[in-house]
Amino acid sequence: MLPPVYPSKKLAMIEFHHISKTWPDGTRALSDISLAVPRGQFCVVLGPSGAGKSTLLRAVNGLMRPSTGRVVIDGTELTPATERELRQRVAMIHQHFNLTLRMSVSGNVLAGLLPQVSIGRALLGWFTPAHRARACTLLARVGLAPKHLQRRAGELSGGQQQRVGIARAFMLDPEVVLADEPVASLDPKISRDILTLIRDAARERNTSVLCSLHQVDLAREFGDRIVGMRDGRIVFDGTPARFTDEVVERLYAGAHWEDVAAPSGAEENTLPQGSLLPVSA
Amino acid sequence: MSTMRVKPFPVPIAGTQLAWKLDHPYTAKHLLIVLVLLTSLIYTGQRTEMDRMVTMTVQAIGKLAGLTDESQVVRGLSRIGQSMWPPEIGEKEEVARLSQFDRNDLPWFSYIEVQERREQRMNLQTLKMDVETERIEYLVKPVGYLWTVFVKMVQTVEIALWGTLLSVLLSIPLAYLAARNYTPSRFTYTLARGSISLLRSAPELIVALFLVLAYGFGPIAGVLALGLHAAGFLGKFYAEDIENADRKPQEALEAIGAGKLKTLWYGVLPQVLPQYIAYTLYILDRNIRMATVIGLVGAGGIGQELKGRFDMFQYDHVATILIAIFIVVFLLDQFSARLRARLI
Repeated sequence: MLPPVYPSKKLAMIEFHHISKTWPDGTRALSDISLAVPRGQFCVVLGPSGAGKSTLLRAVNGLMRPSTGRVVIDGTELTPATERELRQRVAMIHQHFNLTLRMSVSGNVLAGLLPQVSIGRALLGWFTPAHRARACTLLARVGLAPKHLQRRAGELSGGQQQRVGIARAFMLDPEVVLADEPVASLDPKISRDILTLIRDAARERNTSVLCSLHQVDLAREFGDRIVGMRDGRIVFDGTPARFTDEVVERLYAGAHWEDVAAPSGAEENTLPQGSLLPVSA
Repeated sequence: MSTMRVKPFPVPIAGTQLAWKLDHPYTAKHLLIVLVLLTSLIYTGQRTEMDRMVTMTVQAIGKLAGLTDESQVVRGLSRIGQSMWPPEIGEKEEVARLSQFDRNDLPWFSYIEVQERREQRMNLQTLKMDVETERIEYLVKPVGYLWTVFVKMVQTVEIALWGTLLSVLLSIPLAYLAARNYTPSRFTYTLARGSISLLRSAPELIVALFLVLAYGFGPIAGVLALGLHAAGFLGKFYAEDIENADRKPQEALEAIGAGKLKTLWYGVLPQVLPQYIAYTLYILDRNIRMATVIGLVGAGGIGQELKGRFDMFQYDHVATILIAIFIVVFLLDQFSARLRARLI
């Protein structure tokens, strides 16, 4: 496993600079988050439901616009002007797979190329032989069989659908992969297979992965680095080795229900001594 | 804070007298509403001659049961029935009146019939009545009119098909602009919604009436009238389906920067396609029924033939046309029901 790498302006792939988000109803989803993820790192964001993990991930590709703060990807700040270009370099794997269920598996995977396909070809579904070959290679890579190509995505099992989702995400050779609870609706065995696929595919390309999870054991097993979140704040940042049972206890203390608010001051208490909070310049 | 808070059961204070009272369900207001409704029913009923309708229907039932001896309704119906039966299937034309006629090359299934007409005429020289015989040749086509109706019916179905095609082509851009989540701006949204309402609110028959003035008699006016009205209908329903489609696949494509049109094509269209096909088949079904009618104002097809025969009091021809319409509508209904079952 790679050792966790801490920010250095040269290496950082994703940088969050003092990101805050307040929803229109006044809920504070993120409070002053600063974080840097280097190239090639598998960074797990862990925390109870409602901690702001998804919101943080969605800030990277602009699906969520932060109230304050900025996101920088490989030296380019994410703004409405750069969004379209940056989105092509940032792939996303979704909790509910987000496939078009009535479309074929091959159609779904090829849809991952859409930003780079001309509008005419896209509307006709007439992808180049190179693109079709790429879809086949990736589907083989994620462990599907040729017979699945023409099946409707909705006919596949959850695990198979997520495999299609992974193949789709890697179609554009992304430099960043955002995996938003990719295994939340899958059983433990399949969860491991899926996370292995994401990790290995990312390592082959030196892709940074920002993966939100809520399973502690999976986070320890797959993460190069674990970022613990609670109530919109980062309360732990370190290697899996530092992520002890005691830390877990405090991260999840009292958070059995989504609507239970943590007592004030809990954030400070759960911050283990010696952990490094990366704040980039 | 963690102590359980139990809401107290509302127990009345000892000694208070409870006033149990359930109010009368009706008040003077209800009576007033009923009176107003009744008055307006009587007023409009008289204006639409509902009273006469009841009298005449009762008379007709009485006549059929043999109780009354006179009924205008039964008389009218039986007169139409007599003149409509039997339906006309053949055609008979005087050979002398046919412009292009080749005795050696008769149309299929037709023959020449010769009728002799005897006329008595007074010979002015002899002042006697002479009998003159005139031979008139007729070209008889035993199923000639059936063929005419068939050709007109095919044209009617063609008008309906082209009307449907036109409406689908028009409604796709309309739906895109009228879907709140895809329209480029508030202006295009209002514009698209406005034109959809406009198209939907204009009845085909009236649109056809004006289009006949613009394009002349014939199928062009029919196709346009059907297409425009249905485009409004389809545009509205397509747009609503786009708005209600599952957000998840759309978000996945948005997240990689696929652009609106491609997202619509890959994230929405496959989801809504079965609904689209169902709406389009309904429109086809409806257009075939409407296509038989819009001919009445001269917009081509079987309706135009029907109007012509009706105006010439040729009710036996009318009967053939009506039977043909009934058969075609029935068959296409069956066909589209089957197609729908297979596609969805």
